[in-house]
Amino acid sequence: MSNDFYTNSILPHSGIIIKICRAYTDTQEDFEDYYQEVCLQIWRSKDRFREESKWSTWIYRLALNCCLTLIKKKKNNRQNIASDFEQKEIGEENKIFEDESLNLLYVAIRKLSEIDRAIILLYLEEKPYDIIAEIIGTSNNNIAVRIIRIKERLKKLLDGKIN
Amino acid sequence: MEKSIETIWKEGFVKDDKLIAPKVNDLYNQKSIDIVSKFKRMYKINVIAIVLFSFIILPVSFVVKIPYMGIMMFFLFNVIIIVNRKTIYKLNKIDNSLNSYEYLLSFKGWTDELIAVNTKFSRFLYPYMFLTMFFGFWCGPIGGDIPGEVVVKGFVAEFPNTPMVFGFPLIFVGVMIFAMLFLALVGGRIGKWDFNLGYGRIMRRLKTMIKDMEELKQ
Repeated sequence: MSNDFYTNSILPHSGIIIKICRAYTDTQEDFEDYYQEVCLQIWRSKDRFREESKWSTWIYRLALNCCLTLIKKKKNNRQNIASDFEQKEIGEENKIFEDESLNLLYVAIRKLSEIDRAIILLYLEEKPYDIIAEIIGTSNNNIAVRIIRIKERLKKLLDGKIN
Repeated sequence: MEKSIETIWKEGFVKDDKLIAPKVNDLYNQKSIDIVSKFKRMYKINVIAIVLFSFIILPVSFVVKIPYMGIMMFFLFNVIIIVNRKTIYKLNKIDNSLNSYEYLLSFKGWTDELIAVNTKFSRFLYPYMFLTMFFGFWCGPIGGDIPGEVVVKGFVAEFPNTPMVFGFPLIFVGVMIFAMLFLALVGGRIGKWDFNLGYGRIMRRLKTMIKDMEELKQ
């Protein structure tokens, strides 16, 4: 991967890649692995970008798919990962951000299913419903209904300070 | 009033330096360890399978009364095991304290050596296997008629003027020599094909990783 490609095409979108990777990992080490893997996948797949969507939308999709694949692999490798996730609350390793509410929100997001995590991340990044629907591969209506449910679940978790 | 999740998200990231991207430098450490250990595992399983097979085929060949083939196969498999033990010893000597790139290069060097040994060995292996199977069927089971002799008698009766070499029709010897020479000639290629069948995917991944790392190093 050339420095130019990384600096010009990936780095401007690193914020969203970081946000997505954080939602699918619970340790700094995993986060860095996921981030690097996503960057590598973007670089490897760059020739397949057909300009049918925006570069940023394409990166979202790729980052999400990559994280979903990695999390599946990880689950297959360590079958007890689900129980690990369940047990992790707001321990030291989850205090990544300075803002305490944001740390809590991330813990709550990690409680969601993998697809729901993808949807809420895109929603929080203010992506229009049709773009979210395109990335996830479903209809606008489904997305709208799903977002309401996810928000309710998150609110419940945050009000009860997770559990 | 409690903040909405949208507000938490927006405000939380405003002045946070946690959105600074991590360095993309450690990309291949885990991958290189994974790929080498996967290869080692597959390779060792293969060697164990050959050991088991060699010890199964020997008694089985006696039970079904074709011991010549069994003994020759047992000998062949044990030569393969000895060759492989030597290569495993070299594989275990690769220094895993090297950085990922050097580690993968050392591993690639080892696989190149393995392929070269395998290719040379295959030039003898396949003619030998052919010979083993030929004699196995020629001699047949102990106690009954020898199928090879029956065939020769029939052939000589049909073509009484056929030239003979050490009791065999010349044409038989010619076909045997041709088949063995042919197998010796293509044995290397068969060996490579056989290697690729088992390890091709992992070798392609290894090459891609080394290529990626070379680009990353630039």
